Amino acid sequence: MGNVNVNIDGRKIRVREGSTILEAATANGITIPTLCHIKGQVPSGVCRVCVVEVEGSKTMMGACHTPVAEGMVIHSKSPKVIAVRKVIVELLLTAHTGDCVNDSNAENCALHNLASDYEVGAPHFNVRNPRFYPAEESNPYVKRDMSKCILCRKCVKVCGEVVRKDVLSIGYRGFKSKVVSGFDEALTAEACRDCLKCIEHCPTGALSAPARV
Amino acid sequence: MVPSKKEALSENGRAGLLPALKDRAGREGSLNRESMSGLAGQYHLPLNEVYGVSTFYAFLPVLPTGKNIIRVCRCLPCHLKDAQAVIGSIKKELGIAPGETSRDGKFSFELVSCIGACDQAPAMMINDKLYGDLTPAGIAEILKSY
Amino acid sequence: MAEKRIVLSKCGSIDPQDIGTYIAKGGFSAFIKARDKMKPQAIIAEVKKSGLTGRGGAGFNTGLKWELARNAKAKAKYLLCNADEGEVGTFKDKYILSNDPFGLIEGMCIAGLAIGAQQAFIYLRNEYHFLYDPLVRAVGQVREKGYLKHMDIQVFEGAGAYICGEESALMNSIEGMRGESRYKPPYPPTRGLWGLPTIINNVETLMNVPHIINNGAAWFSAIGTGRSKGTKVFSVSGDVSRPGVYELEMGSTLRELVVGLAGADDLKAVQIGGATGNILPASMLNTPLSHETYLGSGAVVALNSGRDIIDVVQNDMHFLNDESCGKCTPCREGTEVMLEIFGRLARGEGHEGDINSLDALARTMAVSSLCGLGQAAAVPVLDSLRYFYNDYIDRINQSHFLRSYLSGELFKSEEGIR
Ligand SMILES: Cc1cc2nc3c(=O)[nH]c(=O)nc-3n(C[C@H](O)[C@H](O)[C@H](O)COP(=O)(O)O)c2cc1C
Ligand code: SF4
Ligand code: SF4
Ligand code: FES
Ligand code: FES
Repeated sequence: MGNVNVNIDGRKIRVREGSTILEAATANGITIPTLCHIKGQVPSGVCRVCVVEVEGSKTMMGACHTPVAEGMVIHSKSPKVIAVRKVIVELLLTAHTGDCVNDSNAENCALHNLASDYEVGAPHFNVRNPRFYPAEESNPYVKRDMSKCILCRKCVKVCGEVVRKDVLSIGYRGFKSKVVSGFDEALTAEACRDCLKCIEHCPTGALSAPARV
Repeated sequence: MVPSKKEALSENGRAGLLPALKDRAGREGSLNRESMSGLAGQYHLPLNEVYGVSTFYAFLPVLPTGKNIIRVCRCLPCHLKDAQAVIGSIKKELGIAPGETSRDGKFSFELVSCIGACDQAPAMMINDKLYGDLTPAGIAEILKSY
Repeated sequence: MAEKRIVLSKCGSIDPQDIGTYIAKGGFSAFIKARDKMKPQAIIAEVKKSGLTGRGGAGFNTGLKWELARNAKAKAKYLLCNADEGEVGTFKDKYILSNDPFGLIEGMCIAGLAIGAQQAFIYLRNEYHFLYDPLVRAVGQVREKGYLKHMDIQVFEGAGAYICGEESALMNSIEGMRGESRYKPPYPPTRGLWGLPTIINNVETLMNVPHIINNGAAWFSAIGTGRSKGTKVFSVSGDVSRPGVYELEMGSTLRELVVGLAGADDLKAVQIGGATGNILPASMLNTPLSHETYLGSGAVVALNSGRDIIDVVQNDMHFLNDESCGKCTPCREGTEVMLEIFGRLARGEGHEGDINSLDALARTMAVSSLCGLGQAAAVPVLDSLRYFYNDYIDRINQSHFLRSYLSGELFKSEEGIR
């Protein structure tokens, strides 16, 4: 495959045909935020914080999954893009319940960090029934606190496609979607081994190592 | 119906999963842990995956349902023709709210998205049968026939 | 103006269970012509030249789409007929499938020749289960006549999910997965079902094909407007005296359809294209219906002067929230937040900030959602804010008034104060 010429934020860039906008940007020191993308894996395209403007397109495009094309003119930080990302982050914070404010691990939370980068404060949206699930501590390796989950699906992806254990799936539909194991039951020690890959990838505090191992 | 191991593991081996789930749900009323585990085995999938597929679709109940499922449309054209009154009438007849099953196990009652009978609004389905141009007063008669 | 029946021309005059009656009316002559006298490229060229566009909502040039799949190199190709018809207020495909299944099957047979598909599926929504057996029998009769030697047709039944009408979600559903949308590109004509080139067309789109083959592209493209050729089948419901299915030339006005044919009077607004459709005030009744203006799936819901627009949009949003697949953030979370706002507005608990929130959410969802559902969920919200802004302001002012005079008890019920 050959190379193509694109323009990102006014910079002329030559990249390998078939790269994604995200890859093209990253290789040239332009940062685009991501919450659901795992480098090297097939993109999920679900969180939408990586959207960018592409001239000639009515909608914005997900940078993590859209391949570059010759002559593409991309704006990754225009006021419109920033405004849209802010609303998306605010939406993620809205249904994300839990005590992150008091959580000493909050600085490890990618959502929290993205919110401060984009100056998104306490959300002013409401939902009828915030997602609230009791924290699950039955598994000796992984503590699941699904109230903090933002449904980025990284855990499902690593467990299935990287570790090939496949003990997690998305269940239900729409706002009620949830990461489930088994018949929507607590993660058992038989199903889940101690690879801890999901904890490593989870952008929030939803998955963590139990306090005492 | 049951795929061979080779078929199940082939590229499009999951193609039969949805029909199989529907078939089970149709015969047993709903999908329980046992039937899902069985299908998971046949298709060489983890249980969580089969559970994830089942809970996505409105016509694959995972909780026990009544013998007959009443599905009343709650979308705009029916709403404009006072579907609310029909819903009220069913509530009164059966003594249950949408999302519930009658004590005798005869009926489950759900509110659903447009069923494509908007020219006969308000409309509902009981199992696979369509009822259109409903009136609150006519509900008792229809339910009696089940 | 009267109806112009092309797609529906055989509905009512044939026995949908007897292929003989369809053939007696000239049925399958187009297929035989395409099979014996035309190369696939010629079929595609004719359809392209006719200007036929997709009737499922997006309005893409059908021949152009077919050409992409034809040119794709692959070990197999698929043809899908989208009979999921879940858009609120749409029932025209049901009417077609009930009255003229052979017309659809003939269209599919020709499409199969054109793109080189060996396998086709008709994705039928679960709510139309009563059509399953008749459709299977109709396919069987066509097979017996020997018209399905090049391709097989299987009827695949959905399981209750509006989003499965979206092309990529529909493919996931056939593949035995959750019916979630996929990001695009890749597009189905290059990578669709099981990663292979796939053409997906609406029932009504395919119904047009035999007529184009029989009568020629020039005949077809003489009907309609600049970018919208032929006719459109509309489903009309709501506040009209004659709800039903009507076929009109593209470019006919909203007034001809809703007032003239369906018998509406005292209109306040119409919603065109289901729960994600535009909401237009009655003052726009002279608008022609076409891809250039408003069309969608051809669902038209009439709203009389007694109707409350906020109640209408709340109902739309309830549907979209129920049916969002939940894959992407803007739609999954956005429809939920919007529904909360509409619930409060309806209960008399709204405030000025809600209008800004709705506007910001709608604009975000429209550009950042992964698929057409979340993107178009913004349409009724933005249209109602545009054309019925005062209804929102009045409602919010009333809320202030009511809240200062009455205790909250009255408004606690889910249904609100209606
Ligand atoms: C949420 C959503 C629902 C859809 N539902 C349908 C449907 O029920 N029937 C249909 O034909 N197209 C539907 N579409 C459009 C399809 O994605 C696709 O564009 C269409 O089937 C292509 O066929 P056409 O080119 O013949 O219109 C839907 C699109 C979206 C985004
Ligand atoms: S648990 Fe963590 S990794 Fe998994 S979907 Fe939720 S936020 Fe993402
Ligand atoms: S826009 Fe809605 S329906 Fe479409 S992918 Fe996103 S969540 Fe699913
Ligand atoms: S990082 Fe691209 S959609 Fe999540
Ligand atoms: S809105 Fe009730 S059947 Fe369509």
